[in-house]
Amino acid sequence: MNVALAQSASQGTRVLSYAGALLETMDAALARHTNVFIMGQGVDDFKGIFGSTTGLAEKHGAKRVFDVPLMEEGMTGIAIGAALAGDYPITTHIRADFSFLAMNQILNLAAKYRYMFGGLMSCPMLIRIVVGRSWGQGAQHSQSPQATFAHFPGLTVVMPSSSQAILDMYPAIIARHPGPVISIEHRLLYNLDFTVSDTGKHVPLGSYVAREGTDVTVVATSVMVLEALRAAQYVHDKAGVSAEIIDLNSISHPDWDLVAASVRRTGRLVVADTSWLEYGVAAEVCRQLVVRDPRLLKQPPSLLGMAPAPCPTAKSLEDIYYPSQHETVDAILTQVTGAGHGIPLPVERSMTEGYKRFRGPF
Amino acid sequence: MKDEATYRRLFRTALLIRLVEERIIALYPSDRIQSPVHLSIGQEAVAVGVCDGLRPDDLVFATYRSHGFYIAKGGRLDAMFAELYGRTDGISGGKAGSMHLTAPQVGLMGSSAVVASTIPHAVGAALSFKRRGSDRIAVTVFGDGATEEGVYHESLNFAALMEVPVLFLCEDNGLAVHSHRPVRQAYRLAEHAAAFGIGSRRLEEGWDMLAVREATLQAAAKVRAGAPFVLEIATSRYKEHVGVGEDFHFGYRTSASVDAFKRRDPLIVDAALAKALEPELEREIDAAVAFAEASPAPGRPELLTDII
Repeated sequence: MNVALAQSASQGTRVLSYAGALLETMDAALARHTNVFIMGQGVDDFKGIFGSTTGLAEKHGAKRVFDVPLMEEGMTGIAIGAALAGDYPITTHIRADFSFLAMNQILNLAAKYRYMFGGLMSCPMLIRIVVGRSWGQGAQHSQSPQATFAHFPGLTVVMPSSSQAILDMYPAIIARHPGPVISIEHRLLYNLDFTVSDTGKHVPLGSYVAREGTDVTVVATSVMVLEALRAAQYVHDKAGVSAEIIDLNSISHPDWDLVAASVRRTGRLVVADTSWLEYGVAAEVCRQLVVRDPRLLKQPPSLLGMAPAPCPTAKSLEDIYYPSQHETVDAILTQVTGAGHGIPLPVERSMTEGYKRFRGPF
Repeated sequence: MKDEATYRRLFRTALLIRLVEERIIALYPSDRIQSPVHLSIGQEAVAVGVCDGLRPDDLVFATYRSHGFYIAKGGRLDAMFAELYGRTDGISGGKAGSMHLTAPQVGLMGSSAVVASTIPHAVGAALSFKRRGSDRIAVTVFGDGATEEGVYHESLNFAALMEVPVLFLCEDNGLAVHSHRPVRQAYRLAEHAAAFGIGSRRLEEGWDMLAVREATLQAAAKVRAGAPFVLEIATSRYKEHVGVGEDFHFGYRTSASVDAFKRRDPLIVDAALAKALEPELEREIDAAVAFAEASPAPGRPELLTDII
């Protein structure tokens, strides 16, 4: 343990990677609940879903953590059946795109079981799916389907943006949540270290303020929360602009009152999402605000998401496909000081390169 | 030698299913049942023979054509009619209706309108049983068309690999809506199962409740011992795919195919026994219908309950 870690440990905090938080919560769930099992392609191999299940089969046994054939629909249906019989299955998809093969089971069955049968049955289970980005993930390793899943009543959809969010939400979901939960994890977050507290204020199964501010509200999801936090620090340092960052966190059941109250104070909105804007999270944020009070916004909002195309593989295209740090900063400044703000923007660079140097504390 | 007591028990349940569905036919023009109905008239022997060959705590996962399995597994008749009527006293408070009949209290788990979709659920329940060292088994009931879906293949593969106690029960009425089996399938079900090392049996006498029961007992014993099994039972759907009428006049099939089956159908052949049991069963149905009629319709307070 190095000096910094020792100091933080003494203050009730420690440094934990996103993958490490996942591994801890998976391990704890297996230890705490005998009805928990984990299945998915490669959960027991040497890569262990990017380190989030490594060693668990050895520790808890092959009956609790096991590989499955290539059978996304069948696996999800098997998880539903096991849940109906009293188990708590955790399934994994190393890319969200593969979960599309399980859409029939997720949308037609898991989402419906409780309601369609009048509350007679429910299938509590956790589906972990990973969104890819950068290094040429291309069109089928990059999709971020939170809006698709959250569109369907019966599903609970979360997007943890930090190790703390995982430590706080996953145990509560596994122990108490009555229905199927889809957690959309972001591959870019896996190797990042975060400072976590085991005793502090818990991340709720809803939304929370990740940074307080007064000039503009930035509603963000997943890795875009980190982008927004970095941008907020930049605009604070360079221009004295105070941005409030709300981590939407729960996509299916966000705290809209929290969002509306923030926008009521700031009158300005940026939404930074990991997916497309069309019929997506950004559209839903705007709908929620408009139906509450169309005068909440002083001006049109700035909306950041993927370009309206399948994701290209070429780096030169991918770099302009996703909103960059440059664009996030520009959106915040434009909201507060207008388009001609004249404030120098951070050097354009791909987010992955930035994250190689990025380390908490968020 | 025919076991008379067992025959009468199965016959009574099969006749109840037929009379219930004939009552549905009679009620349907009144629009009291405002949802699609998929009748199992002609297929009753499969439901009663299978359910009688299982233990009460075995789980059955079924399809949109499950009036028969609901009754045979022991679901309440009054709650079934109230469900068909879309009333609060329905088994699922009216949210399920005919296509999603269920009665987990007696082991009939979800019925799905999406073909083949509950096949993996039975495999999952069987996996749970095995994990816990239970000797219960799970049964998935599906039609011949469902075996064309990819998830059937996935489910067999997983069941064989993990050696879970699941019985794959195929009700072969030869039709997927209006399409005949030979134009749909380039494989033979038994050979397909054998490719996974899964044993199978095809029973041609799908009208014979005792034969179905016996085949189920034998298959269930194998499954309970840890080997998944495919049991295929030839049967006959007398009515149209969905709705309460017949469909011979559309020309895609002839009544001759059904008539051959009807000539062996005990509910028709054994008319004396049917006649003797009918009054009592009709009274049971009258009471269930009256229960449904008296039950209130759900409204605003129920619309948004039990979602998550």
